Amino acid sequence: MNLKDYRTLFAVATLGLIFMVAFPTLSLIVAFPGGAERFSELWVLDPNRMVEGYPFNIHVGEEYRVFVGVGNHLGSSSYYMVCVKFRNQSQPFPDASNSMPSPLAPLFEFRFFIMDGESWEIPLVFMFVEVLGLEGSCLVRRIMINDLVFSVDSPSRWDSENNGFYYQLFFELWLYDLTSHSFRFHDRFVGIWLNVTGS
Amino acid sequence: MPACKSFLIFVLLFALALSIFPLEDCGADSGEAALAIKQAEDIMISCYPIVLKAESAGGNVSGLLARLNEAGVLLTQAHALYRLEDFDRAACFAELCSQIGGEVRVEAHELTRLAVKQATERLMWAMIRSILSITIIVSASFVSWRIFKLRYCQQISEMKPEVDSGES
Repeated sequence: MNLKDYRTLFAVATLGLIFMVAFPTLSLIVAFPGGAERFSELWVLDPNRMVEGYPFNIHVGEEYRVFVGVGNHLGSSSYYMVCVKFRNQSQPFPDASNSMPSPLAPLFEFRFFIMDGESWEIPLVFMFVEVLGLEGSCLVRRIMINDLVFSVDSPSRWDSENNGFYYQLFFELWLYDLTSHSFRFHDRFVGIWLNVTGS
Repeated sequence: MPACKSFLIFVLLFALALSIFPLEDCGADSGEAALAIKQAEDIMISCYPIVLKAESAGGNVSGLLARLNEAGVLLTQAHALYRLEDFDRAACFAELCSQIGGEVRVEAHELTRLAVKQATERLMWAMIRSILSITIIVSASFVSWRIFKLRYCQQISEMKPEVDSGES
């Protein structure tokens, strides 16, 4: 190595040290692209906070409990809304491929903030208050959710393939958008099927 | 889950408070209840960018978010009661939500101010530290380069063959 090579070596080492020392300050000014994926989670758990014992065979007047949870991995605190909706088999479900929520009106809306990396979970207790059995069809008239009784008047036809009257309680995740100043469907939904045949 | 626990504690405390101090009759009709709910929603929404600003400035917003979530529970109840046409209670819940939201908004502004001040101070000290460190590194590097160069030249000159006068 000649003197010129040594000079280059000194310069590179000095620049490396300068970068190491300046990096913490630079990171306060410049946002370096993070590799973490940004997303939200939505889940529904059974009464034991597992995924195996969801309420399915429903009886009128009996309370059922599930846990609904949301996880925030969006990089900052976020304002969410979970819409609780109820439908029969013929009513529309959210369309995730087109980012479209179900057009059904929500029975219940949870609004809450979550910090980045944190989660939120809430027990949801529901009960079928009034169900009418008609010939070849069934009419769910009222449902109680967290001690409030809602009129739903949702009819269902006999599902001959699965032998029952089926309904779905489902949850849509909405996220508050600061640019449009409104809640937008966040492409996340989960639901549980309920068999009202034996009610 | 801590969020769930705190929510349950809040609901229990709220139910206890209601049993001791029942909600006053707000005497609201459908329009008034809708207006109260809209105001509560607006207050909640107006808190969000302030909280985000405080958070991005490095402030600890967990306390503010916990209180906003208390207000969110009230807003949830207000919406549900409105749907059930219980306008009186819906308006009362919405007004309580607005009250909490208003308090949070004031606290959030204060936290943002403090967080921005602290962040500016932090940045200033970090810059002073960095400039000092860079100056030391550059000076040390320059001095060591000079010393290295001097020794290198000395070594080279010592390695030069001696010139013989040629007289015998």
